Amino acid sequence: MENDSAIKNVGTMKDAKPADWTLRLLAILCPDYLLEEIEGDLLQRFQKDVRLLGERKAQRKFVWNVIRYCRPGILIRHKFSLDLIPIYMLANYFKVASRVMVRNKSFSFINILGLTMGLTGALLLFLWIGKEFTYDEFHTNKADIYKAWNRTRIDGTLQCWDKTPRILAPTVTQDYSAVESAVSFADYNAAFLFTKGDTRLMKNSGAFTDPQFLTMFSFPLVKGDPSKALSNPNSIVLTEEFARELFGDKEAFGEVITVWEENNSFDFTITGILKELPANTSFAFQYLIPFHFLESIGEKDTHWGNNSVSTYIQLKEGTDANSFNEEIKDITRKHTSGENTTEVFLYPLTKLRLYSRFDNGIPAGGRIEVVRLLGILGICLVAIACINFINLSTARAQKRSKEVGIRKVTGAYRYSLVVQFLCESILITAMAGILAVVLVMLFLPAFGNLVEQKLTLQYTNVAIWSAIGIGILTVGVLAGCYPAFYLSSFNPVRVLKGAPLAGTSRNFFRKVLVIFQFSFAMTLIIATLVVQDQIEYAQNRDAGYAQENMVYQYITGDLEKNYQAYKNELLQAGIAVSVTKTSSPITEVWSNSWEFGWNGKDPQSKIVVDRFYTDEDIVTTAGLTLVAGRDMDLDKYPTDSTAVLLNEAAVKVMGFKNPIGELITDSGTEWHVVGVVKDFLLRSPFQKVKPMVLQGSKGWFSVIHMRLNSNRPLRENVAALEKLHAKYNPVYPFGYEFVDDEYKSKFVDQEKTQTITTIFTSLAIFISCLGLLGLSTYIIESRVKEIGIRKILGASITNIAQLLSKDSMRMIIIGILVGCPSAWWGLNQWLMSFEYRTTMKLWTFLVAAAAIIIVAGLTIVIQIMRAARANPVTSLKQD
Amino acid sequence: MGKEYLGEFEELILTMVGALQEDAYGAAITEEIEKRLKREVNLSAVHVTLYRLEDKGYIKSKVGGATNERGGRRKRIYTITSGGLAILRNMKEARLELWKMIPQLKMSGQ
Repeated sequence: MENDSAIKNVGTMKDAKPADWTLRLLAILCPDYLLEEIEGDLLQRFQKDVRLLGERKAQRKFVWNVIRYCRPGILIRHKFSLDLIPIYMLANYFKVASRVMVRNKSFSFINILGLTMGLTGALLLFLWIGKEFTYDEFHTNKADIYKAWNRTRIDGTLQCWDKTPRILAPTVTQDYSAVESAVSFADYNAAFLFTKGDTRLMKNSGAFTDPQFLTMFSFPLVKGDPSKALSNPNSIVLTEEFARELFGDKEAFGEVITVWEENNSFDFTITGILKELPANTSFAFQYLIPFHFLESIGEKDTHWGNNSVSTYIQLKEGTDANSFNEEIKDITRKHTSGENTTEVFLYPLTKLRLYSRFDNGIPAGGRIEVVRLLGILGICLVAIACINFINLSTARAQKRSKEVGIRKVTGAYRYSLVVQFLCESILITAMAGILAVVLVMLFLPAFGNLVEQKLTLQYTNVAIWSAIGIGILTVGVLAGCYPAFYLSSFNPVRVLKGAPLAGTSRNFFRKVLVIFQFSFAMTLIIATLVVQDQIEYAQNRDAGYAQENMVYQYITGDLEKNYQAYKNELLQAGIAVSVTKTSSPITEVWSNSWEFGWNGKDPQSKIVVDRFYTDEDIVTTAGLTLVAGRDMDLDKYPTDSTAVLLNEAAVKVMGFKNPIGELITDSGTEWHVVGVVKDFLLRSPFQKVKPMVLQGSKGWFSVIHMRLNSNRPLRENVAALEKLHAKYNPVYPFGYEFVDDEYKSKFVDQEKTQTITTIFTSLAIFISCLGLLGLSTYIIESRVKEIGIRKILGASITNIAQLLSKDSMRMIIIGILVGCPSAWWGLNQWLMSFEYRTTMKLWTFLVAAAAIIIVAGLTIVIQIMRAARANPVTSLKQD
Repeated sequence: MGKEYLGEFEELILTMVGALQEDAYGAAITEEIEKRLKREVNLSAVHVTLYRLEDKGYIKSKVGGATNERGGRRKRIYTITSGGLAILRNMKEARLELWKMIPQLKMSGQ
């Protein structure tokens, strides 16, 4: 600054001076000890130039001359601060760091344990998150592949769904030149029987698709030509695993296998063996059969209203998807002469996994929200472990202050002290990091199971390992930063004289950090409780039917033909008390429509009604409750083949005052209402019951439900059932499902959520309490004399315990209060995602608060009691 | 080897330092070279060379006086050391030896 004013003086005298910024630049470029000389020479030159060339030219020349100083001959003359920490000092820092660690075992233990826990949790989460982002990213054509979606206005809002008509793929290939190829893909979940020699396997994990599927997507074939494998109608492509199941170690390629559907069997030639599908794809199939096959046996589907397949479209490279969407929008309307107003749009393949939720026709997130939440969770876990480190290091500052003083007196710069303390934190984090990696390797399979992801940590994946390394280093620096700057700031004269460290602001900072830890723990505990409450709430919901003692079987092979005889014998033999054929298992909805007609229906409305076919006795078999009318009974009322039962929700949307005898039209048939049943749950127990019609035997059937005879042991029933099955359906293997098991599986997702929140909540609480333990230990240690004096002056144990716990408890209670609103807001959002949901209750908050206070109290009580009971003589006789 | 060798520009600067004596500082050396050799020289190059010569021990420096012309900044005056003088002399003699080996210019060179 002095220099600047000097120039100004000169400037006013001679009326010419170089721009300030050039001098500042020069000061940056040149080392301090050379600056004056260089500046002087340059200015002298400048004045000469002003005289010779005029001011403007001189100015320009000056700038250029300054820039020329940006050369190694000048730059390397800087005394880099790095010179102050030569390698031998680094070695010394690590030596001191390890000695400090060994000397303060409890401190190191708490820090390493906390950081290990935090890092393990975070690593697991980030491996999972990383996996989510790789879904279907391996396809060579991924940038050009889109999935076709439908959208239409239902009850005033735009609804989007990703199932489209089979006819769409061939139509777009023909109509639009921008389309490279388009395929239908249908995994109907229908079970087929595969036979080869004596091997018989039921598989529902396959799909129908078009031949171009194998060239559009990058699912490599081990054997076979991707461009030709599916061109013959009677060809089939199997995955390696399935081929092994059928053929063992024998060669499967080129062999012929038989596939059974009901009573029909077809021969297929294996024209391709797929490499096992990677774990990071949304596709799941074990075999592929061309659509041509279905069409060759007369099941050609050209109906634009039948949205039953997925359509994938690969655009020609460089096609703009937005403008193509404009073109393709009206394709359905065009091909149905304006009757069907559903619009088609394309959505990128790589966005399907994480961004597939639409709100009124606009992309509105999806799984990505969960991923973000997990990311925040991971970061917070590491953060609370870092907070432990920061708090413990600053709390122990007094102990290190003498060392800092001595180092400074003997010539250490502040910078080198900062580096020293950073070395300590990096050393601790690195140890925690190594332990965390070991733990992650141990727990990764179990964690992968829990989140239903195949997670791996490969030794060869350099990217992951360097990310982990950088991550751990960053955590070390972040955790060590504040303590390092704080510890290195001590004034050596003061600390060596033994003056206490002033630090109200530091205490305040520490308190804020502890409050953050406990508010985070509070949020997580409330989350755990609410998730659990919601699951219980749904589990306690009345399903509306009796799940126990009820089994179902898929109708396979000869069962359809022999149904009547099978049923009769089941009843006669006392295996079952009631048997009913239905279109789908009672735990699933396979069909719905907005095209039902009834008296008084608003022709504009598109009310979606679930469809469920049953032959008779469904009320008895499923244990439904009749509200009005009667059950279907074909013997008594032969016209019951077109009878229909409504659930209460359907009666409500249809607006019937007296539903019995009303007529309902569906697919060109009139169905007459014979009864009303109480609402029962087919779909998720977290949803409202949808309007539903149970239609009579004129429909189609694929499942047999039976209520087993509860007077006989279950095992006997099942054995008898198996025998009967073998008699009436000899080709197909025996299989059955318990309805109550299937119903329970509807809670699996939520129960997983619960397990995950519980695990991470425990982790967070554990780490927070660990920090609290360390902190209170050091605080008590530093107040030992005070306690001694207080006791001598007559303080009771209770007084001292109160005194010591007051501070910690105040922080914890503030933390609890801070955590409440965020927990309330977040969990309300979560609950809103369920139609059938519990409410946030006050007791959840109280229980969570009590839990934290108790756990935290238990953590510190031993320390406090020990300090309060200690004999003051011992603490006071020292020094 | 390396120690005994000077680049052309280094030699020039070293000579200038020796010649200018009490007036040998960056700006003056640059000016002198421009005036006598009609050669465009950048200040930064001169400075870098001076520092290198100082590192090698051929010149030494002390801080001198300031003038108004320099905005109050002090000069750094360089003086040639005996080592610097010796290598300059060595180089000159070596050059002369070689010079004498060029036959046709033997007489006209005088």
